[in-house]
Amino acid sequence: MTPETNIALCAQPSTSTHLTEIQFGELLASTHAAGPGCSPTEAEAEEHLLACEQCAAELAGLRDSLSLFRRASTAYSNDQLRRLPPMPLPARPILSPALQPAYLVAAAALVLAAFLPMQGLRQHAPQAVAPANASASAGSSIQAYSTESNEALLDDIDHEVSASVPAPMQALADPAADTDISAQTSTQRKD
Amino acid sequence: MVPENIQTFPSGLSIGAEPRATPLDDLESVVALYQPRVFRFLLATLRDRDAAETLTQETFLRAWTARSSFREDCSVGTWLIRIALNLARDHTRTGRFRFWKNLSAHAVDVADVAASVPSGEMSSESRLIAQQQVGLIWETVAELSNRQRTIFLLRFLEEMDIPEIAVTTGLPLGTVKSHLYRALNVIRSRHATQPKETR
Repeated sequence: MTPETNIALCAQPSTSTHLTEIQFGELLASTHAAGPGCSPTEAEAEEHLLACEQCAAELAGLRDSLSLFRRASTAYSNDQLRRLPPMPLPARPILSPALQPAYLVAAAALVLAAFLPMQGLRQHAPQAVAPANASASAGSSIQAYSTESNEALLDDIDHEVSASVPAPMQALADPAADTDISAQTSTQRKD
Repeated sequence: MVPENIQTFPSGLSIGAEPRATPLDDLESVVALYQPRVFRFLLATLRDRDAAETLTQETFLRAWTARSSFREDCSVGTWLIRIALNLARDHTRTGRFRFWKNLSAHAVDVADVAASVPSGEMSSESRLIAQQQVGLIWETVAELSNRQRTIFLLRFLEEMDIPEIAVTTGLPLGTVKSHLYRALNVIRSRHATQPKETR
């Protein structure tokens, strides 16, 4: 019996000859081993396999081919993937969503820490006016003192200016004495 | 069935309007873990390396963008494959895809896939036979209808069980089984016609 005839026979709903298309499909597609948990159709198919070498061989051959298909496809795909450039990923979120509230609290604390000292400075500003006034009055007293000393200096200058002969010119206060000396000198020159 | 190395957060952790933490938040780890699987599925579905690469990137981008809508009613892998499947479906619907598929220099060559059979302790003759079997299945899968091919690949390439395939494709269990058995019957027919001396 050729495999084609076998398939044709298996398409008939008869389990006395060979496995049906559905039984083959169930056996190939099942992900669990044969046992008490399998369906009655599967159990019947398993029983048939024990007795029919042809179906058992065909099923084993198909299973091998399908397994090879998977292994070859996986190996080929992995090989192709290795040749590809790394996949560009979207930028990772800086903050983990789970930690965002904690980051927000920390940021608020920082803002408060920076803001509170400034508020303190503002409250201290009116108290700082009084010392400023005090320093202003001190400044005015200094200014009055300097005004007084300036007036004294000006008085001294006026006094000196108003004097008939300034102190550095006292030697020239009697010009007559100088005239005799100059006359003698001119007589000697004539001689 | 979430992998152990992916941290999951119970949905009860969400507070008010705060964004809920999801396993997709650490995209780098998710990509490292699932990229081979998503790429493999897309490569076998589309049979074009460039298209598979582009749609793999798109899959992860969409998953990350829509991560808040991930309800954890299935595994991350299943969710990603579902996105990839929808993208592949949209992609193959366009006539442009069919046009470029014929011209693409990056189309998968069946001989390359067959040559990727792990040699192990095989003799050269066994290796040749294995390559022929793989090539035959790879070519036969291309002849299946889109739905049959998808279900076949999810079962025999991604090793999903039938309920998981039903979740991924959004099809009833009976429909999944029906398409899978038909696909297997086509493959079995082709397998049976293979010359005996190569088996």
